[in-house]
Amino acid sequence: MPELDIILAGLGDAFSPVTLLFVLAGVVLGQFVGAVPGIGPVMAMAIAIPFTFGLDPLAGIGFLVGVNKGGLVGGAIPAVLLNTPGTPDAAATAMDGYPLAQQGKPLKATKMALFSSVTGDTFSDIVLITVSAPLAIFALRMGPVEVLGLMMLAFAVIAGLMGRSVAKGLIAAALGLLAAMVGTDPEHATPRFIFGQFEVYDGLPLPAIAIGMLAISELLSRLAQRQGTVPAIRMDKGGDPADRRVSWAEYWGCRFTMLRGAVIGTILGALPGIGSTAAAFMSYASARQASDDPGSFGKGNLHGIAAAESANSSVMGANMIPLLTLGIPGSVSAALIISAFMIHGVQPGPFLFEQQGRLIYGLFGAMILANLLNLIVGQLGLRLWTLVVSAPQSFVFTAALLMCFVGVSLASGGLFGIGLMLGFAVLAFVMTAFGFSVVVFIIAFFLGPRLEISLSQTLALLNGNPLALLNYPFGLLLMLAAPVAAVALARKRSVPTREEVT
Amino acid sequence: MRLLPKLASWATAAVIALAGAAQAEWKPDGPLTLQIGFGAGGSTDTIGRIVAKVMKEQTGWNVIAENKPGGGGVAMFTGIANRPADGSVVGLGVNMPLLVNLVNRPDQMQFDLDSFEYLGTAARAQLALIARSDAPFDDVAGLVEYARENNAPLAFDAKPQELAMRKVAEQAGVEFQFLSTKGGAENAKLILGGQAIAGFEAGEHLERLAAGDIKMIASMNDTRHNYAPDTPTLPEQGYDIYVDPVFFFATTAGTPADARAALTEAIAEALASEEVATVVMNSLKSPIVNLGPEGTREMMMNGLANVANLFGQ
Repeated sequence: MPELDIILAGLGDAFSPVTLLFVLAGVVLGQFVGAVPGIGPVMAMAIAIPFTFGLDPLAGIGFLVGVNKGGLVGGAIPAVLLNTPGTPDAAATAMDGYPLAQQGKPLKATKMALFSSVTGDTFSDIVLITVSAPLAIFALRMGPVEVLGLMMLAFAVIAGLMGRSVAKGLIAAALGLLAAMVGTDPEHATPRFIFGQFEVYDGLPLPAIAIGMLAISELLSRLAQRQGTVPAIRMDKGGDPADRRVSWAEYWGCRFTMLRGAVIGTILGALPGIGSTAAAFMSYASARQASDDPGSFGKGNLHGIAAAESANSSVMGANMIPLLTLGIPGSVSAALIISAFMIHGVQPGPFLFEQQGRLIYGLFGAMILANLLNLIVGQLGLRLWTLVVSAPQSFVFTAALLMCFVGVSLASGGLFGIGLMLGFAVLAFVMTAFGFSVVVFIIAFFLGPRLEISLSQTLALLNGNPLALLNYPFGLLLMLAAPVAAVALARKRSVPTREEVT
Repeated sequence: MRLLPKLASWATAAVIALAGAAQAEWKPDGPLTLQIGFGAGGSTDTIGRIVAKVMKEQTGWNVIAENKPGGGGVAMFTGIANRPADGSVVGLGVNMPLLVNLVNRPDQMQFDLDSFEYLGTAARAQLALIARSDAPFDDVAGLVEYARENNAPLAFDAKPQELAMRKVAEQAGVEFQFLSTKGGAENAKLILGGQAIAGFEAGEHLERLAAGDIKMIASMNDTRHNYAPDTPTLPEQGYDIYVDPVFFFATTAGTPADARAALTEAIAEALASEEVATVVMNSLKSPIVNLGPEGTREMMMNGLANVANLFGQ
């Protein structure tokens, strides 16, 4: 623990006008690129990194942290307003956010997303600042066997989201896993299903698939309805003002949901390589499991939004735990922040707090500052975005379509990525038409590579002896929890269905 | 204050650029695209973007950095090999993935080493075999002895690393378990967490090395590392095999000589700048190594023979 004066000096640096300005610029940019379907904060950070070299380290890193955090808030906006999430974790937000927006309450839905996102983010930042060292040790103890157990649990949770037909859900998950297998296999490094296309040698590019299946298919089917002059979202001007805001009672009512989401997100975020998608859906499923009225989920329940947003945002702060204590990035955006540190000659790792205490406490200050700014900028930005999408559909959807093309072209290698995006958009369209869940497909696709590599590592560790699993009691426990969770979630799901029938 | 040295480097850059413009008449007809064979955020991306930025400042050309991920550069170099040789696109990649694929799947590749004009190299990734500092061995001989008595899981993130250690296992008559991972960071996690007994890292481990959390068992390159001159290479420890990843620049074969000369010079000048050297040193922990066009070509040809040896061909 550094001296108090170093901590105070660091926090003072964070609130200096220059840093404040850069964090603010980062948050504004992050919310913008997050909200525009297709580009996303990761792309924006990657492009911005070389330019931070000329800045003071704290200003540069504060800017990137701002972009990242702003993106978390921005990402929920298209998911809620247009049902076009750009990333799978935002798809969890769309499950209740979009129905609520359709009921004429788009501001209420996006504000709930903003508040729960900032709440989850702040929670994990506080955990990072106070107890990162023990959490980092916990993360190190989670080896391949434990991660495999966790992935099995995550897949079991997907089973709870499959919708009416278990068979169709399983087919969608299997198709997602099949798509995840494209590219080099982890065991022998032989390319699978690449058909001579070296562009997919490292696997299908995630942005093209996610945007194609989640955003493009929705945009195309909405455009096909040819209601060009109708506003993309209805907002009753004269309606009840309670529909345009989130009251304290409503926010407070979601406190346990948000706390649960933040805890799940923080734990999964501290483990490198799991990511926010698993966190968002596990939090959503457990919120529904805990609810007295599970049938209202998927129809505009505020708890659904709170669960998804608090979890996926708290992953970000927690990703910094292995980064700052061990120098191990927990996600792509954390890896980008490491490279920003490194081009300034600062190596994240065990010496960081001793040698760069002032910078680190400056960074912590900048993170808290970014959360506050997120709240303020978000309040203004949400009004702007709801105004934008109340324009006629023909403008909103075509503009969104264009942004998706640009974003995927940037992120997934040009025209090839666009072709893939369109192909998978058609696949999603067909799947939806026949009642297969696109969300299940996309989660299986996202988690598939991690499942496979953990399985491969586990098999290597067991060295042909299944009884060796007994040496990993925690991993074994997680594996056994998976079928239990699947059955419990499936039971809960069947309840509202029966009520609807009678 | 960082401004003064910066101004000085800009001034030098401007002088060099003016001098360069006087000699080389050729300039790209439109923008010059510097393609990067990997996605955003990795070490190749960092090198590519800083070189593009400095090159743009020095030459006044409109230099655009563009990510072309896929197959560790195979996708990008396939495109470069099969486009008009007008010098408007330069690729930055790493030799190992190309060589591995040229050795294993020559019939599927739409290029060979003669499909390119080589323009230079940026740096060498210093690949180290490391273990936690409480591991009961200090060198490869000790690791081999450990593996005789125990399970010895090794964390690796690229096929050549695994193959090199399979050669070691074969020669010593022992067995390792191989944990395939997604990168050096995951290797580090498994080593520090005790799930792997040893593994590979390229530069990211220096801080942990200084902290005494880990120790270095061998340099996997065919040279010792600048930060650890006392740790011998794998060949020096009696195993005639090495892994030597080098970042290099190339363009399409048949590019006119004046374009080639201008591009070579522009890249060399950017690499010589203080800004690029600092960023590369900070992110890779390796100094700039520019082998020049001839040296790069030779490095690729020799590398092909070494990789064929790795794969037992």
